[in-house]
Amino acid sequence: MALKKSPIGSLVSKPLNTSPACSSGSQALTRRHFLKHTALAAGTLVAPLFIPASVLGRNGAVPPSERIVMGGLGIGGRGTSDLQWMLPEADVQFVAVCDAQKSRREAVKKIVDARYGTSDCALYSDMREFLAERTDIDALLIATGDRWHALAATMAMRAGKDVYCEKPSCMTIAEGQAVVETAQRYGRVYQTGTQRLSEANFVFAIELAKSGRLGKIHTTRAHIAPWDAAEMTHDWLPAEPLPSKDVVDWDEWLGPCPWRPYNSSYTSGGWRGHYDFHTSCIGEWGAHTFAQAMAGIDSLDKPAIEYHYVNNPTGDGMVTVFPNGVKMVLHREGVWTGSCGMKFEGPEGWVAVADGYTKPEVSSPALLGDFRQIVGDYIARTQRPMSHMRDYLNCIKSRRLTVANPLVMHRSMTTVHAANICMWLKRDMHFDYQKEEFINDVEANRLRSRAMRSPWTV
Amino acid sequence: MKNSKLFSALTLALTFACVTPAHGAETSAPNKEQMDKLIATLKSESPQKEKADACRMLGLIGDKDAVPALAALLADEQFSHMARYALETIPDPKVDEALRAALTQLHGKQLIGVIASVGVRHDMQAISQLTSLMYSADTAIGLAAANTLGTMGTSTAAKALQGAWANTPAPGHLMYSEGMLRCAEGLSAKGLRKEALAIYDTLADAKGPHQVRAAALRGAILNRPSDEGMTLLKKSLHGADFVLVDAAIRAAMEMPGREVTSALVSGINTYTEDQKLLVIQVLGKRHEAAIALGCLTRETSQERPRSIRLAAIRAQAEIEDASSVSRFVNLMNDGDPEVAQAAQEALASMKVKQADEAIMQMLASNDAARQLNGIELIGRRRIVESMPELLKAGSNSDAKVRVAAVKRIGDLGTTKELPALLGFLNNGKEAQDIEAAQQALVAICGREQNPDESAAKLVDALGSAQTAQKVVLLRTLGSIGGQKPLKAVRAAVDDSNADIHTSALRELSSWKTADALPELLSLTKSAANPTDKMVCLRGYLSWAGDTEMPAAKRLTMCQDIAPLVQQPDEKKLLLGTLGSITSPDAVTAIAPFLEDGAVKEEASAATVSIAEKILKDNKDKDVAAKLTAPLQKAAEATANTGLAQRAKALALKSEGK
Repeated sequence: MALKKSPIGSLVSKPLNTSPACSSGSQALTRRHFLKHTALAAGTLVAPLFIPASVLGRNGAVPPSERIVMGGLGIGGRGTSDLQWMLPEADVQFVAVCDAQKSRREAVKKIVDARYGTSDCALYSDMREFLAERTDIDALLIATGDRWHALAATMAMRAGKDVYCEKPSCMTIAEGQAVVETAQRYGRVYQTGTQRLSEANFVFAIELAKSGRLGKIHTTRAHIAPWDAAEMTHDWLPAEPLPSKDVVDWDEWLGPCPWRPYNSSYTSGGWRGHYDFHTSCIGEWGAHTFAQAMAGIDSLDKPAIEYHYVNNPTGDGMVTVFPNGVKMVLHREGVWTGSCGMKFEGPEGWVAVADGYTKPEVSSPALLGDFRQIVGDYIARTQRPMSHMRDYLNCIKSRRLTVANPLVMHRSMTTVHAANICMWLKRDMHFDYQKEEFINDVEANRLRSRAMRSPWTV
Repeated sequence: MKNSKLFSALTLALTFACVTPAHGAETSAPNKEQMDKLIATLKSESPQKEKADACRMLGLIGDKDAVPALAALLADEQFSHMARYALETIPDPKVDEALRAALTQLHGKQLIGVIASVGVRHDMQAISQLTSLMYSADTAIGLAAANTLGTMGTSTAAKALQGAWANTPAPGHLMYSEGMLRCAEGLSAKGLRKEALAIYDTLADAKGPHQVRAAALRGAILNRPSDEGMTLLKKSLHGADFVLVDAAIRAAMEMPGREVTSALVSGINTYTEDQKLLVIQVLGKRHEAAIALGCLTRETSQERPRSIRLAAIRAQAEIEDASSVSRFVNLMNDGDPEVAQAAQEALASMKVKQADEAIMQMLASNDAARQLNGIELIGRRRIVESMPELLKAGSNSDAKVRVAAVKRIGDLGTTKELPALLGFLNNGKEAQDIEAAQQALVAICGREQNPDESAAKLVDALGSAQTAQKVVLLRTLGSIGGQKPLKAVRAAVDDSNADIHTSALRELSSWKTADALPELLSLTKSAANPTDKMVCLRGYLSWAGDTEMPAAKRLTMCQDIAPLVQQPDEKKLLLGTLGSITSPDAVTAIAPFLEDGAVKEEASAATVSIAEKILKDNKDKDVAAKLTAPLQKAAEATANTGLAQRAKALALKSEGK
């Protein structure tokens, strides 16, 4: 058809939510010197090249012009912990935070300003405005509630930002796909917050499992949260008077989720356990532990393909099977004494680890003898630091894929979502990971996506 | 590249395998009765929550019969979203008809939502309507329409998007970039590369933000005919804009064809050092051994800068060609330690069997440094076939080689290697030999599924072993545990040799199971000297101090051994254990020691410690009453004023005061 009308309209005067036009971040990236970037990229783009610390961090004396300008989206408790890892990094300059809740954004400003001895951290409550205005920001820390993770990440990447996104990084399989597509489309660096993939104890267990010293791994065990259930509530909490938009922008807080009346419990962490906002006890820890388990059985690129229903409220004891035949069993408690544990079992031994362990537990003390060497070899081979945030920052500079890149996130979260769907529909499931669909199960396939509330869309 | 390739493959797969409901797919028989009720709820005056729940459920079980009721809600600000929530997943073309109808009737947010749902469902019949909607005065609607058109990924959609671009002054172009990129990806995946290229070139020529330029360049390289793509790639790699160089590198890793590799190789000397580093890495990812290896070998030569040499070594390792093995072996002797280390890492990572063979040859050489490197790599690659050579190296004249080999036998061996290890143990010349043999024995026995078998071999070896070797065997038996080792270790306690006796006693006192407790009790009674008695007592009481055991059992153990406790240090040990048992009977057991001048302080402290725990939540008056007298006695016994005050306060509390 003939196109005669121009859609220019009010485009120029009004920032758009999802258009890359929101960002002219090219200025931010190209201002850095080409040689610095290529040297870094050469080291870590795709291969394990050794990059001296003096190159990556200029021995801690990073000129302001080479700093990564960062902003935050929805930083609460967990995000504050991330922030504490981020702020001490010499090549980070945190400049602004956006949050629908006034108390949270002001708390972050207090931390950031105290760190820098300034009062410069800018505050935003509207994400579209934030992304449109702050074209100086290179990268984001996204630590909103789960409901916003994938949407915020795709919006940010379309606006040219690199993204560190807390887990669980998507609410549905479709959202995970959108994150993968967007990162690939725009060449953005993305790290999901499965930080144990960058912790020595967990790396040791993963590398030990992959080394063959336990024999061919036949079973891995993954921790799920010992509270809440797989089945979540659809109930609404009683309506409370809506605070002013400046205090809590309730519509923004809900984002893509179905509308419900305001209740202050939601905005103070009580959103967990609600179907619209949470991924259940399985996603709460499985977002971490499934990725950890999949790393040790060399299946980070393939989700589980079989899910065996267990008749209990939590999924405790569910057996899943990966394409390579390895079983992953979900455990609520009893295997570990700390949180977010994983275990690998082979015919020649086992290794288990969880938060709080001084060292991993092993079937034979001799296995721990090479702890330092195994972790050291991993660092030398992969050039991954034992800091998840530092890995992200290094990759921002080098444009290399992060250790918990979009594919890792999507495949591990697909396993989380499929396990949840198996529990919700109370039957065994078979999943075709190439087609990304459940086999001969229409209902299960209908749970792979959820319509987003307008105007939000990935 | 593994990740990059998968990343690309996944993206392509997702382009087609997104979670669009398949029309006409076989549905599980929905509960018609339930669905009718849900539809009735939608039509009723039910509260918002009930209608929202009905929509949610219809999203799971609804079929075409639910569509009219849901479609009727699309214009309703309160229910429009939940109506789409249900409609998006219903696998029936009636849904698409309803959504298309809504496109002509709705406005604002409701219309934006429906446009998004049309995209989710890939309804090609909506392209014409979406094209019109791109020109809405409401830019949010125009943007949603452009993005959804892009999702369709067809020639018609592409023409619509390009038309809008052409009819729009430059400042408005970027509104279409996301949709155009989506569309180009769809076209490319369908093999319509020329059409995709037109979009990428349009976007690449526009002075857009960095992420759009990068996306466009990557697409422009990948969708060109290979020679043109190569030209653009080379030009981009030589550029000064890092964003575009990064995009070109990503494209270079994805471009198929040997000619691409050849072109990269032939131009290798035209790049700056930094650019060359990138190209070398790309060569590694492309896995074209025949074309790239010669070039990469030259780049490892000593006259090249270190960074280039390192990159070239690692690129060769990624190519995984057997011919690289000998080069890596040679480079392990390079004068630059970083290069040597990189070569070793490269050899360790190669999956070809020739790498194993080369490593075993290193072990078979007469050069100790090479042998040590070989042993290290054997461990990293788990080369169990090297066992005969390792066993041979276990007798090497060089102590470092011997020790490393024996430890490696422990890593890789099975019980078949026990006789050889016992031989190394018996022939051990130096302490480090004996220590290595012990580590190996413990490692192998620790992995053994049937420990009795290996234990039997070790017990047999005890008879003929010398003192130092016997000590090692006893430690190894202690690490295995079980009845037969326990018997052997117990027998060794009676050995006249002091070293063997002491070693056996220590193993017994730290036995991994409670099976040794009777022996420890008996030996405490019969100990010939205070040191032995203390070792046994410590071992015994460490079990009594295990808080995972029932308190009554732990108390009985303490009471059993109490008559044997005579010296102050022994009494302090016992009181320490009793103080960890939260029971009035433990307080009673402590009471006699409150009158013992040598340990009354420890007895007072233990009494107060237990009483504090009991009285914290206790509601049983009889239990509390049992504590009064001992606490009063403790208050009098201790010289510690603070402790005395705590005891008195607790005594009063125990009386209910």
